[in-house]
Amino acid sequence: MRLNLIAAALAASALLTGVTAHADQLADIKKKGELVVGVLGTDEPATFIDPKTRQIVGYEVDLVNAIAKKIGVKPVLKQIAVAARIPELQQGHVDLVAAGLTHNKEREAQIDFSLTTFVTGQKAIVKKDSGITDVPQLAGKKVLTIRGGTQEPNIRKAVPTAEVVTFDTSQQAFQALQQGKGVGYVDDEAALLRSYAKLGPQKAKYVVLKQNLSTEALAIGIKKGESGLKAVVDDTLRELEKSGEAQKIFVKWYGPNTASGFQTRDFKFESDKID
Amino acid sequence: MPLFDYSLLLTGQYHDMLVAGLLLSLQLLAASLLLALPIALVVALLRLSPVAPLRWLGFAYVESIRNIPLLAHMLFWYFGAPELLPEGIKQWLYAGHIEAYSAIIALALYTAAFMAEDIRSGIRAIPAVQFEAGRALGFGFMDTMRRVVLPQALRVTVPPLISQTLSLWKNTSIATVIGVAELMYQAGQVESATFRSFESFAFASAAYLTVSLAITGLATWYHHRFPVRTI
Repeated sequence: MRLNLIAAALAASALLTGVTAHADQLADIKKKGELVVGVLGTDEPATFIDPKTRQIVGYEVDLVNAIAKKIGVKPVLKQIAVAARIPELQQGHVDLVAAGLTHNKEREAQIDFSLTTFVTGQKAIVKKDSGITDVPQLAGKKVLTIRGGTQEPNIRKAVPTAEVVTFDTSQQAFQALQQGKGVGYVDDEAALLRSYAKLGPQKAKYVVLKQNLSTEALAIGIKKGESGLKAVVDDTLRELEKSGEAQKIFVKWYGPNTASGFQTRDFKFESDKID
Repeated sequence: MPLFDYSLLLTGQYHDMLVAGLLLSLQLLAASLLLALPIALVVALLRLSPVAPLRWLGFAYVESIRNIPLLAHMLFWYFGAPELLPEGIKQWLYAGHIEAYSAIIALALYTAAFMAEDIRSGIRAIPAVQFEAGRALGFGFMDTMRRVVLPQALRVTVPPLISQTLSLWKNTSIATVIGVAELMYQAGQVESATFRSFESFAFASAAYLTVSLAITGLATWYHHRFPVRTI
């Protein structure tokens, strides 16, 4: 929340003083020798802190490292809050945002997006004894989720009468579900399966509803109009795809042997267009 | 992109969300204040009681509450305390507006600790001879308090209590962390839906400021209308 407020204040002051366009961002990045990337750091396995090394690692980190290598600079990761992602980018506090960022039409007016780096469905999980077996049955029920992302608008769109309660972190929202403070919990499929796996023997009491609330295309966020930087990001992603490295990175973090347990990779780094 | 989009604040869905947040914040304020005042009075009397264990009880309440941040209270009353209830009550409670109830309990208990201290100071401001006079007339402890000391003390106490109300009003914003859709929460929601950070937080700030100034105005008016009688 605090980051959020600071970002809001900064955005406000910048809007009022009318910050204007500056030189090419890619040139600036090369000059300072580092690529500053905003990440969540709390979103396993996309970006999270490895308990052993205390370093931020994950799927998005591997992509970011490849981009920094391509530019020839050092990657610097900066943890930011979900709601601060776009303001931080607009203000130039970070060069890129790799933070589970959904690419959607509304946001295209604010920032640019790289090629789609991940495709996920948003799903709901419920307690088995609630008797709920598909999404429309959540009507009129209390549904819990994280604040500031696309989860909330999507559940409202899918089930307009659901009473949505949101929290600062997905852990808090999931805990509220476990305590029975709502019948359902909504999140990106990858993150949801991760939380589900953590339940251990309690898993039998829960059901992940099959139906997708939405399909989300995640991408790396780039400040609007920085075509040089966008070109280098997209080129890196295309090269990763071509060399087979993209597939390897996916299997490493989301594959069958991970808690996420995805059997196949149903997308490629090929387009920055969304439906 | 216009610099400041007033239309967002004046009409439409986002306007409705912000207004709903403001109304809920005011409800939180009213409910917690109504609950806090009697608790505060009881605690203040406990702290002044002639019976030692009751005094300790009052002391323990005030100190344990005042020395823990409100955020921790809020999380405790939402995530912690209700879990201790029997299953049936728990389910009934969770099906309703548990977020708002937890917030009201946290705010009321927290504010009561501060208000209790103000009331106690007010009572102590009344010279001991007044109390002795009451006892000399044959009143017991409670009657002396009720008929002689409290009517004078509460008058002294009102200005600091109004100031605590001001703090309570600002503290309602902390209810955001447990998902209560009050003003700060709605401002955050509008921000993440529209990215119009400045407009949504400007609305919240203006609303907090307006209500705060009204409360301050009330304190000033009371001070002039009912000045403390020189004793």
